[in-house]
Amino acid sequence: MIRNKRYYTVILLLFFAFLLTLYGWFNKSSQTEKKYEMVYIPKIIDEDNDFWTSLIEGAEMASTEYGVNLKIVAGESEEDVEGQNQLISQTIEEKPDALLISPCSYTESNELLKEAKEAGIQVILVDSRVSESLEDAIVATDNYAAGETLGEYASGLIDGDDQIAVVGHVEGSSTAIERLQGVQKGLGEKQNNIVSTVYCNSEFGKAYALGLELMNQYPDLKLMIGLNEYSAVGVARAIRDKGKIGEIKMAGFDSSVEEIQLMESGVFQGIVIQKPFNMGYLGVKQAVSSLKGEHIEHVLNSGSELITMDNIYTEENQKLLFPFVGKSQ
Amino acid sequence: MKKTSIRNTMLFSFSGITLVSVVIFLLIALNYTERTVMDNAIENTTRLVNQVSYDVDSYISYMSNITTMISENEDVSNYLFAEDLSASERSAAKEKVILQFESVLKSRPDIYNLAIVENNDNYLINDGEGKLNPYVDVTAQSWFADAMKAREGNCLSSSHVQNSIMYSYKWVITMSSSLRDRRTNEKKGVFFIDLNYSSISDLCNNNKIGNKGYMFVMSEDGKIVYHPKQQLIYGGLFEEDVDKILSSKESYFTVDEGDNQKLYTICKSEETGWIVVGTAYTSELLKNSKNTQMIYIIIAACMILLVLIISSMIAETITYPIEVLKNSMQKVEQGQFDQANVVVKTRNEIGSLSNSFNIMTQQIQNLMEENVYEQKQKRKSELRALQSQINPHFLYNTLDSIIWMAESGKNDEVVEMTAALAKLLRQSISNEDEEVLLSQEIQLVQNYLTIQKMRYKDKLEYEITVDAEVANATIIKLLLQPLVENAIYHGLKYKESKGMLWLKAYRAGSYLCIEIQDDGVGMDEDTLKHIFEKHKVNYRSNGVGVYNVRQRLELYYGKECSMTYESKLNQGTKIMIRIPLRGGEEHD
Repeated sequence: MIRNKRYYTVILLLFFAFLLTLYGWFNKSSQTEKKYEMVYIPKIIDEDNDFWTSLIEGAEMASTEYGVNLKIVAGESEEDVEGQNQLISQTIEEKPDALLISPCSYTESNELLKEAKEAGIQVILVDSRVSESLEDAIVATDNYAAGETLGEYASGLIDGDDQIAVVGHVEGSSTAIERLQGVQKGLGEKQNNIVSTVYCNSEFGKAYALGLELMNQYPDLKLMIGLNEYSAVGVARAIRDKGKIGEIKMAGFDSSVEEIQLMESGVFQGIVIQKPFNMGYLGVKQAVSSLKGEHIEHVLNSGSELITMDNIYTEENQKLLFPFVGKSQ
Repeated sequence: MKKTSIRNTMLFSFSGITLVSVVIFLLIALNYTERTVMDNAIENTTRLVNQVSYDVDSYISYMSNITTMISENEDVSNYLFAEDLSASERSAAKEKVILQFESVLKSRPDIYNLAIVENNDNYLINDGEGKLNPYVDVTAQSWFADAMKAREGNCLSSSHVQNSIMYSYKWVITMSSSLRDRRTNEKKGVFFIDLNYSSISDLCNNNKIGNKGYMFVMSEDGKIVYHPKQQLIYGGLFEEDVDKILSSKESYFTVDEGDNQKLYTICKSEETGWIVVGTAYTSELLKNSKNTQMIYIIIAACMILLVLIISSMIAETITYPIEVLKNSMQKVEQGQFDQANVVVKTRNEIGSLSNSFNIMTQQIQNLMEENVYEQKQKRKSELRALQSQINPHFLYNTLDSIIWMAESGKNDEVVEMTAALAKLLRQSISNEDEEVLLSQEIQLVQNYLTIQKMRYKDKLEYEITVDAEVANATIIKLLLQPLVENAIYHGLKYKESKGMLWLKAYRAGSYLCIEIQDDGVGMDEDTLKHIFEKHKVNYRSNGVGVYNVRQRLELYYGKECSMTYESKLNQGTKIMIRIPLRGGEEHD
């Protein structure tokens, strides 16, 4: 019964086609749950540094939420460009879906990042940018806007001719450049009062020394601005130790418990804080969206907030200033 | 158009019905699974949320007991408010309070601070060494103000950073209670406990709901006490449907959030007024049900396959005999009765149908055979009747000639003619067969012509040419003689000079051709047209000669034969006969 056999064959074929369709369907639905592999290279992993710890926590939260396998590695210090480049090379070998990076250097990692892109890795810059526009997306504080906010606030602290000194962190780094420009814009006319701009290479000690030096050099100094935590706190300590609290106004970037204390004790009049948690979270989120082929904004501002004595303990700001539960000074 | 067979109809309808019912069953099962899983998930999260809520409650109520115990302590009031106490009495009271504080702190490591405060200058913290933050006005703090305002009982703050204690910025939940001066019964200070915030957050964190699900705690007024994504909420990147949670009367509800559906499970604590909310993503909850659903689908697929096979087998067993019957009927259609018999294997309706069919074909076959036999008989008798029409006139004429010759004393001629006549008669009468060899027929014609030549003396001459290869071909009896007779009587007889007659037989392909030609008077076209019509033939001879021959040809050879006349007036006539060449074979 040849005809019979043919019928069974047809039925069997149909059945297998059905199973294949099912398989495909389930495969597809499991594909949507595919885990992306990502690597994040911050400038530094330092538990005592609230900024990076918070940023990493935000990135980890997003990775849980979006089902991403996130690996976090970092060089030894914020200036360890070579170490970071080595990690980038290593990452290119691993070929993850996306590389999130907070580049230590404005220029030195360009070639490697291009290489990563050529290897098919999405490159997302977090916090800092590089000299060339080679990234798929950037998530960062709009440093220019943040600087402007601080500049505007600071200009209200002084009179027309009062001298201003600015202490930056690393000369040539994108954040330092942008913040300084923002501050200048915010100061408006008073930017001409800036008598000195110096850099402390993100060291408390050097910032402290620079602070003392500046006060000696310019006895009429009325306002000092620190462009990151190290420079701000270092200079603030100098003001405190010189007993010039209130006499020399102080404004700065970033927060730490010490900065809060210095603010409560009146050394700092205002600080602009970033939102590192959001930055980390948005970095991973952008990477996921980009990998899924969704439209994303190329430059995403993670936001900043001006903190003064008036708003320091509002519900929202508390969480920004003291991101970690159970951690104390 | 595709031919639809019973088999396919059965197969498709069976499969269709099964498919539909299985799919319906499947949908119900899938839906049911999803609902059950969902119900289970809701039940689980509800239990979890209630448990956490209960833990929070019992934790807070324990703290509440401590607060009440300390705030009603006489020593506390004495130390803070009794200005008339001597220094030693005051320090004794202080010792007592510190002793109590220390015993509490030792037994509860989750308590960060215990303090009694009247203002920034008059306070006692933990072991007595702690200092208030000099830059913070403690009486302006909300936990202080709330406790002073509260009529009775303890106040519980939301989570916040405790900035009132020097050098310590800890995340705490503060429980505070007003302190009264025992003598004036006036609220003058506040006692507070700072509870480690992680003791609450850990309770929530340790009870995960799936991978993505989480728990959070809200205060009565919708402020967040604990939320794992607190930063995102403040950053505006994430939102909880706070209003819906506060207004919800159900213990759970779902909210659509983009592609996701979130399941909120709520438990409100009577003790603290806090609301513990469990949040789960339904997509995640339902992930487990997918495996079950997969099994259902596979089972359903197997069932469909099974049904397809079984129904095709059933259809096969039913339709196979029908198929056999159909094929057999087709053979009957083509007239192959001998192969049409159906082997009956089944005893059902189709079996009896086949039986009846067999009987029917048998009967038809019998009837047909009978019919064929009858037809044959009929044709034979007809042929015989036609053959027998030939003889009489010629016989009379010949006998007349013989008489005439005998009277004239021409004995030799009489003998010759009589002998020829005898041969002729013997040939035409004795042979029972319808067919004879061409040579035999030629012999007959020759005998006939011998007689006629004698009768017409010098008026008739003839020539017979027969190819050797057709000499043994068969031909119906007495076919040529009437035509020759016609040629003589109608063609040559009226010619004044001597007449000539030719007879030729030869082969043309698979046909035998015979030509009979004379150079007699011929026919006009009108006569030629009606030559085959019976009624027009009305001559002195046997009248039906040409018609007769033609009839017999057609009866015997059917359409394969042809007979044509060519004639011109005063020039002669030519008859051409073409019949299938049959050499020595017996025709049926």
